[in-house]
Amino acid sequence: MAVINVSAGSEAVLELYDLDANSAITGNALTAPYLQDITITNSTGVFRWQTLDSTSESAAATPATNQVSLNLVVDDAAFFGTGSNVDPGVVENGIFGISNAKTEIGFRAYFDGTDSGSKYVEGTGFISGLAPTVNPGAPVWVTPVTIEVNGDYTEAEVA
Amino acid sequence: MRDTLLTQITTNLAGSNVKVSSELPFNNGGEVLYMKNKKHFYLDAEQEAREEFIKCLDKNDIEQTTITLNGYLTVDAKNQPGDISNVVANILSANSAITNTIDNSAGVTTEIENDAITYTFEFNFITII
Repeated sequence: MAVINVSAGSEAVLELYDLDANSAITGNALTAPYLQDITITNSTGVFRWQTLDSTSESAAATPATNQVSLNLVVDDAAFFGTGSNVDPGVVENGIFGISNAKTEIGFRAYFDGTDSGSKYVEGTGFISGLAPTVNPGAPVWVTPVTIEVNGDYTEAEVA
Repeated sequence: MRDTLLTQITTNLAGSNVKVSSELPFNNGGEVLYMKNKKHFYLDAEQEAREEFIKCLDKNDIEQTTITLNGYLTVDAKNQPGDISNVVANILSANSAITNTIDNSAGVTTEIENDAITYTFEFNFITII
């Protein structure tokens, strides 16, 4: 039993990869740079009802809403990609290109780095919620990013 | 940055009653140069301070750098140069020569000692790394 801290700087890692190439494994994934914060939400839905013969409500689980939300400082290569029109590469199209094209991607969110034995949560989904913003008082572009997860998460460990 | 600012101040004060020295305002015989050489403007060395601007989980933190330069000008308090107001304004406006900053400010304070008044200028330039 141990807490997972991120003091080393290489532990809370988010990788985005193409579904067809499975590039998280081949090493061609986009590692989200300048990650400010990340939240992995697994919100199970609940249907509740009341009956006359009980003093407490009953409940049943309904499908969960899964989301990964984060905030990034905008890096030009990661946000706009390293090249254009290389469908559907995450690295080439960048976060904005993937969002704009509504391309489904894979993601891995590592909790304590990418070394062997480290835990991660994996899934597929769509990039959403981009809202790059800058102002004179905060003169560096930052943007929220949401991954609207398609289906279940997979929890695993780096081999 | 000091060279650029000094060049602009020299340009702005051309034809005025105040000369611009490229020397640092060091002590000479126990007296600072700007007290000794009245109507000469001196610009001190750059002071730099770095602080975290945005903290990132991957430790690629975004830093902001504040560079501060102080300038000094001493004149006779009773008989100030007739163009002293323009001189002060032209020194302050020289900060516009420094570009690529997110914040650029200049200010002046005065202090009278015996028969001399010293104008102390402070220029602050903030950049993001």
